[in-house]
Amino acid sequence: MSTLRERSPRAYALALPAALWMIGALVLPTVFIGWVSLWTTRTFSVGNPLGFANYAKFFQRPAYVKVLTDTVEQTVLLMVITAILGYAIAYFLAVKVERPTVQLAFFLVLVIPFWTSALIRTIAWIPFLGVTGVINKVLIALRVVDQPVEAFLFSRTGITLAQVSFYTLLAAGPVVYTLRNIPPSLREAAYTLRAAPLAVFRRIVLPLTLPGIVIGQILVFLNVMADFATAQAIGGHKLAYLGNLVILLYDTGQLPFASVIAVLLMAAMLAGVAVLLKVVDIRRLGIS
Amino acid sequence: MIDWRARERLVTWVLGAVTVGFLAYQWLPILTMALLSFTGPDGGTTFPMRGVSLFWYRELLRVQSIDDFKPPLGRSLVLALLCSATTAVLAVAAAQAMRARFRGNGIFFYLVLLGVMAPGLLVGFGMGLITRIVGVTPAWYTTTFAVHIVWTLPFGFLTMLAAFNRFDRRLEEAALTLRANPWTAFRRITLPLVLPGVIGAALFGFTLSFDEFARSFFTTGSEQTLPLVIYAQFDRQLQPTLYALGTTTTVVSLLAVGAALALVRLVRRRAVTGP
Repeated sequence: MSTLRERSPRAYALALPAALWMIGALVLPTVFIGWVSLWTTRTFSVGNPLGFANYAKFFQRPAYVKVLTDTVEQTVLLMVITAILGYAIAYFLAVKVERPTVQLAFFLVLVIPFWTSALIRTIAWIPFLGVTGVINKVLIALRVVDQPVEAFLFSRTGITLAQVSFYTLLAAGPVVYTLRNIPPSLREAAYTLRAAPLAVFRRIVLPLTLPGIVIGQILVFLNVMADFATAQAIGGHKLAYLGNLVILLYDTGQLPFASVIAVLLMAAMLAGVAVLLKVVDIRRLGIS
Repeated sequence: MIDWRARERLVTWVLGAVTVGFLAYQWLPILTMALLSFTGPDGGTTFPMRGVSLFWYRELLRVQSIDDFKPPLGRSLVLALLCSATTAVLAVAAAQAMRARFRGNGIFFYLVLLGVMAPGLLVGFGMGLITRIVGVTPAWYTTTFAVHIVWTLPFGFLTMLAAFNRFDRRLEEAALTLRANPWTAFRRITLPLVLPGVIGAALFGFTLSFDEFARSFFTTGSEQTLPLVIYAQFDRQLQPTLYALGTTTTVVSLLAVGAALALVRLVRRRAVTGP
């Protein structure tokens, strides 16, 4: 017995507000985007005829298709970088740092920026990247270059630099969690059986942390695919990903076509998550 | 051949260097922004600083006609508080419902978690489309509020599930055996025990909403929230006022986190020693 009996009807009453909210403010808007994307006229009315003309238009224009491939390319690049960097950081924190106070200190210093505004963090990158920015000043002082490099601001390099600093933590967090769950006895047993350190890592540690890697990669994937603010702020309207295209088309009043981009973005994201989940069963992690 | 101890130490040093390097990489822009916000009145948005002053902070407080940050700040704070309270209440109710294992709880779980997965820009875009077809004017306290909850609720929900996981059911059962009615048992026994979780859920509601930009983009209408105004100002011209504002909101976020952590510690200590 608990305050709420198993399968009691009151459980439905308690779940209902949250469920209705998610349906009304999340599922419904999503369905709406799908519907509007099928409208074949640009006028905004409920009785519009439906068809796939907008989708055909998207794939007929190489410029739009390029935005799609650029988005996927940028996402894959970020996934590779954050996977390696995130794993190194997670391994150091969970395995190499032994004193709990030091561990906590590292953890706090890593997580605190996460609690601050992403927009502010993006703006904070600007004085770093410009022609008179910090990176260029340092490079010139070290005599690595003698002319300031213009390629940082308004470029993919700049966007990537900023995104790596935002999203590496998402890749590292779940790995820390899975590394901590490995019983020390497993590693000790392997060492007792005279396994080489690298073999222990490759055959025991890495497979056991795979779920953490995948969860982290899903988070990075979802965030980079939908990231438009970094590209807009640091790319300075010169570079566009799918998110930026939605805003651009919305601003110019092409709502059905903006919806097409939104649907394609969502489809790409669902496909990506499905592929990543093939690697590992998320439910076995015992999140709930 | 190097022996394995030396190699082990080498690995530790390399990984440590990577971690510290990343920390510097993550923190330097924030610290640079904070430093540059104290530049003098003639200072620009990059180094070198021209003197040290509070000029740009005073500039923030001055009443301006177009770039007045105070009304948006007020709206963002009210919205964040609204989201904080709503997230806490809905998350406790939803997690309580999950404990009763009602039919369809699996679908319910994924429905709520969908809020984390769904890209903010698109949820906001969909909501924007709906307001157009229904013919309502979007506003920060209606449409923006609705889509912010979609983002904050899953975090609060997971926090509450974790809190109920650690919860000792027998205490609740004892109360019921002693003929407390379910509401009394919940109010006097359950709620105080999971209070740290509730504070956590409320904190997620506050900070996630306060900083939210993507979801507000299509849903806010003419009275804008702080992140939208910051973005608009940034898009027009980058000024040290934005650094001052960024530094201020960062400090506010940190204070909120610190206050919540202190509150949790206080609640835990009282739970151990009794009131």
